[in-house]
Amino acid sequence: MAVTKTSSVPDMVVLSGELWQELLKLVTAQYKVIGPVRRGSEHVFAPVKDPRVLDMAYVTTILPPKKVFHQPFQVLFSFDAEEGTLAEAESGEEKVVWGIHPCDMHAIAILDKVYGVEYPDPYYLRNRENTIIVAKNCTEIGEDCFCLSMGTGPALRSGYDLLLTDLGGRYLVEVGTAKGRKLLSGLDVPPAPRVVLVEKEKRLSQARQRFRKRMVTQGIQELLEENFRHPIWEELMRECLACGSCTMVCPTCFCYNVVDKMDLDLKTGRRQREWDSCMLLEYAQVALGQNFRRDRDARIKQRIYHKLLYYEPQFGTLGCVGCGRCIGACVKRIDITDVVSRLAESVESER
Amino acid sequence: MINPFKPEMAVITEVVKETSDTTTYTFRFKESETRETWGFEPGQFNMITVFGIGEAPISISSGPGDTGFFQHTVRHVGNVTNALAKKRPGDVVGIRGAYGTGWPLRLLYGRNLLIVAGGIGLAPLRPVIREVMRQRDRFKEVEVLYGARTPGDMLFVREFPDWSKHVNLRLAVDMVPPGVKWDHKVGVVTTLFSEMFSQPSNTVVLTCGPEIMMKFVVRGLLHMGFSPDRIYVSMERRMHCGVGKCGRCQIGPRFTCKDGPVFAYEELAALPEEVLGGVGR
Ligand SMILES: Cc1cc2nc3c(=O)[nH]c(=O)nc-3n(C[C@H](O)[C@H](O)[C@H](O)COP(=O)(O)OP(=O)(O)OC[C@H]3O[C@@H](n4cnc5c(N)ncnc54)[C@H](O)[C@@H]3O)c2cc1C
Ligand code: SF4
Ligand code: SF4
Ligand code: FES
Repeated sequence: MAVTKTSSVPDMVVLSGELWQELLKLVTAQYKVIGPVRRGSEHVFAPVKDPRVLDMAYVTTILPPKKVFHQPFQVLFSFDAEEGTLAEAESGEEKVVWGIHPCDMHAIAILDKVYGVEYPDPYYLRNRENTIIVAKNCTEIGEDCFCLSMGTGPALRSGYDLLLTDLGGRYLVEVGTAKGRKLLSGLDVPPAPRVVLVEKEKRLSQARQRFRKRMVTQGIQELLEENFRHPIWEELMRECLACGSCTMVCPTCFCYNVVDKMDLDLKTGRRQREWDSCMLLEYAQVALGQNFRRDRDARIKQRIYHKLLYYEPQFGTLGCVGCGRCIGACVKRIDITDVVSRLAESVESER
Repeated sequence: MINPFKPEMAVITEVVKETSDTTTYTFRFKESETRETWGFEPGQFNMITVFGIGEAPISISSGPGDTGFFQHTVRHVGNVTNALAKKRPGDVVGIRGAYGTGWPLRLLYGRNLLIVAGGIGLAPLRPVIREVMRQRDRFKEVEVLYGARTPGDMLFVREFPDWSKHVNLRLAVDMVPPGVKWDHKVGVVTTLFSEMFSQPSNTVVLTCGPEIMMKFVVRGLLHMGFSPDRIYVSMERRMHCGVGKCGRCQIGPRFTCKDGPVFAYEELAALPEEVLGGVGR
């Protein structure tokens, strides 16, 4: 990645103990920081004022950091019912998202394509521009994680402003952009010697050996195309509750609904968008009660086919980054990797 | 940055009732700059806003040659479309567009044209008919088959005498209520195939209507030897953005709002039928 030097801050430093704490203090004092915080037995991305609440050892979060950019609720503009549009929604202040994992960064790169092309989405792009991204390579692997097989982790190669790698009690901090370098400017630290990269790669290669799940991606498009009417879809229909949790937690899902909310005076209001899910019945309903995806199997198929088959022609990449959230969020533990391997196995056994 | 979600204000200048549940509105943009720069292709749609109620995708039903104003023909079926029913001349709505693919007009020049429409599906085809009337000599034989539920459900009836001077118009209704005089066909629109003069050779087909109708139209025409690569269909899906962002309108890998609503039939034929009809088996 091309890096322009804005100061004497080195491209790569190693921080431990006090210096690491110092960095966290500086950043949280200067910026609105959103980072991984423990909530009960799980983690969430939440505003962090006191760096002590940051939990850098988190494995996954309930919602992906997508929510900072493509917000669950986004006011588009306010209006007067008679006069029309008034003000457009204001853009927020500059913020830092701390500790984004590689899978979630890859998902953001996909959303950049969804929202950045053709009719660029000003709300998403503004949130992107306003945000400094501090990513973190994964050295701990969760039980549902399969980014390795999707080529989206556990190491990140690009897209970050700063990149952290836990070297055990100390952090390797790599600068990706001038925006990232700015965060380090208050620290007086010498450049790290290049040999720390050996240590970094060793930790990442150890992490690669700890994956328990993988997606069979070879031939996956053909497999799905040829098995649109496979009995597995009916089995899944019987299991799936069509609650929409899998899409709500997915870092690459982009669908939204739009609603007009009136104020109490019934004269003015706001147009707002909200995350939506293809798993819900109303999603594909059209005039006079016709619905293009009434049956649940059609909706489960929409999700899985969209992720694994249709993103490719739409955005030039698979739509799943292997974060595993949909597996963890499913009451019935429907597992997208398992669906694909069962499909592959049953086709194999027919041969 | 241009905000694609922010509608332009447009004033309703005329309201004409087409049928008991459908109305044609004439609009004029408030801003003179928008009036001068805005344009569209036949087959494209606008997102119409009734502030406080919401937005709905509606095809443009006037011709591209109609300047200074544009029209929409709206069937009142739900929140936004029923709120529109209460609007009078002078009232203001929000408009953004024009979006989506249009009918392949250039392909039609020098060729025969067969239009098959059902119900409200005639609205997005009226711009083509108006274009044919404006530049009649650019097209060869033009035939329009139009089907509706009853004679009272037919749109644009007052224009039929004028249309008939330029194109061969054939009508069919599913049923005729007692006491109503009807000189045309009774039956679904495909029953008009047996009497139409359109031949497969050098003919481009444009069709819009309920999906089940289009399915039988395409099936019938293919059977008669019409070329699948010269059939175009206009699809309807739920839409919340019109610009490829909200995901609502997806058909397989395609976004109806930007890859459609007008699709080459062959593009859709490549997808599993369930993706199109959607209702599983
Ligand atoms: C490209 C395109 C062009 C269209 N052109 C016209 C036109 O020229 N004239 C016309 O009258 N209608 C047209 N429609 C259909 C029109 O968009 C819907 O009837 C309208 O969105 C319903 O909105 P509503 O708020 O009134 O209804 P809602 O209150 O939202 O819903 C009422 C009923 O309409 C259904 N519905 C909602 N959105 C759509 C949709 N996009 N398509 C179909 N059904 C929907 C709902 O599921 C429900 O059954 C077009 C649709 C598309 C996609
Ligand atoms: S489909 Fe599941 S595993 Fe893949 S990116 Fe979405 S939530 Fe993560
Ligand atoms: S269609 Fe479904 S799976 Fe695809 S992005 Fe939308 S909600 Fe997610
Ligand atoms: S209408 Fe929103 S993506 Fe097509």
